[in-house]
Amino acid sequence: MTRLIGKLPMCWLSLLTLLLLPAAAALADKPVFNIEIREHLFSPSELRVPANTKIKLLVHNLDSTPEEFESYELNREKVILGGHKAVIFIGPLPVGNYPFFGEFNPKSAQGKIIAE
Amino acid sequence: MLLTSVVIIIREVLEAALLISILLSMCRQLRISQAWFKWGVLAGLLGSVLYGSQMGAISQMWDGVGQELSDASIQALIYLCLLYSCRKLLFYLHNPHPAGSGLLSVMGAAIALAVIREGSEIYIYLSAFQQSSESRMGLYSGSAIGLGIGFSFCALFYYWLLSFSPRRAVLLGCGLLSLVAGGMVLQGCKMLTQADWLPDGQAWDTSNLLPEDGLPGQLLYAMMGYEASPSPAQVAIYAAAILLMLASLLLSYRQGAKRLSSETSAAE
Repeated sequence: MTRLIGKLPMCWLSLLTLLLLPAAAALADKPVFNIEIREHLFSPSELRVPANTKIKLLVHNLDSTPEEFESYELNREKVILGGHKAVIFIGPLPVGNYPFFGEFNPKSAQGKIIAE
Repeated sequence: MLLTSVVIIIREVLEAALLISILLSMCRQLRISQAWFKWGVLAGLLGSVLYGSQMGAISQMWDGVGQELSDASIQALIYLCLLYSCRKLLFYLHNPHPAGSGLLSVMGAAIALAVIREGSEIYIYLSAFQQSSESRMGLYSGSAIGLGIGFSFCALFYYWLLSFSPRRAVLLGCGLLSLVAGGMVLQGCKMLTQADWLPDGQAWDTSNLLPEDGLPGQLLYAMMGYEASPSPAQVAIYAAAILLMLASLLLSYRQGAKRLSSETSAAE
């Protein structure tokens, strides 16, 4: 056990160093887009974004209940607590439609991102 | 509400329960104590409540990508725990000694972390939606059905693995756990991509062939983190993680076998 505990921090250090490299690139400015969740609905439910560009999506959950922003097409999933705002980086996306939904209210909470 | 709850709970429960059933079944085969398991689950449940209730604060950390980074760290830790556990289990396959506390605590940690990852989301979901009385009935019955289906599936899996000889079961179990561990890495990379710590992109797209939201897709997701359109970075790190695990297990298997043959020749 002690041997293992001794090894784990080393693994973490090397993992962290690896991870910190691209983090510097993440600081560069990206276009910001906003989506609100209100009464388990996304607004706007269709968001047009530039294709082939990385964007920063801010999802404001104005409901008191949490929601999980999820999209199979975008490979994204993130829990957003009631009254909280979440940051989700998306793209660069090829031209096309990318549906997303709220996993906790999948019937009502639906939308799509249109990259053009 | 009912159907939504069933789907959410099954999706969360399957992953953790699959990992638990494979580990437990291998321990049974190797006559290793299974008492550690309940402590792992207990720690996982406590951790779920703690992690789930702090999710708001965690999400705000690191410029709003705290949730992604903590999730990815948990997944990386599970990978390391499974790598260590499989190596040890392969060793005990050839050298049946009483298992050391190292293996037992690492297996317990793997289970606790897996339960925390899935349990925290269930905690957030249940604690938020149980406040409205109209949905409470659907929420609870849906969750109970989801739990039931998830656990029955894993009980079947547990007994299926017990039906093999110990040697085959351990080899099969280690193979399956390699897939589970690889899935953790794949999903961890997805989180890092979402946090913009890894570059995004599309290596291929199999969503027409095997959609992620279909039943086989969901099962594969629970088992090995299936992703219909992974990014090149995800694929590269996944391949490296799987290769590292398989090479490490092969080495451990051969060392164990060699030690066994030298011990038998010494006895003669």
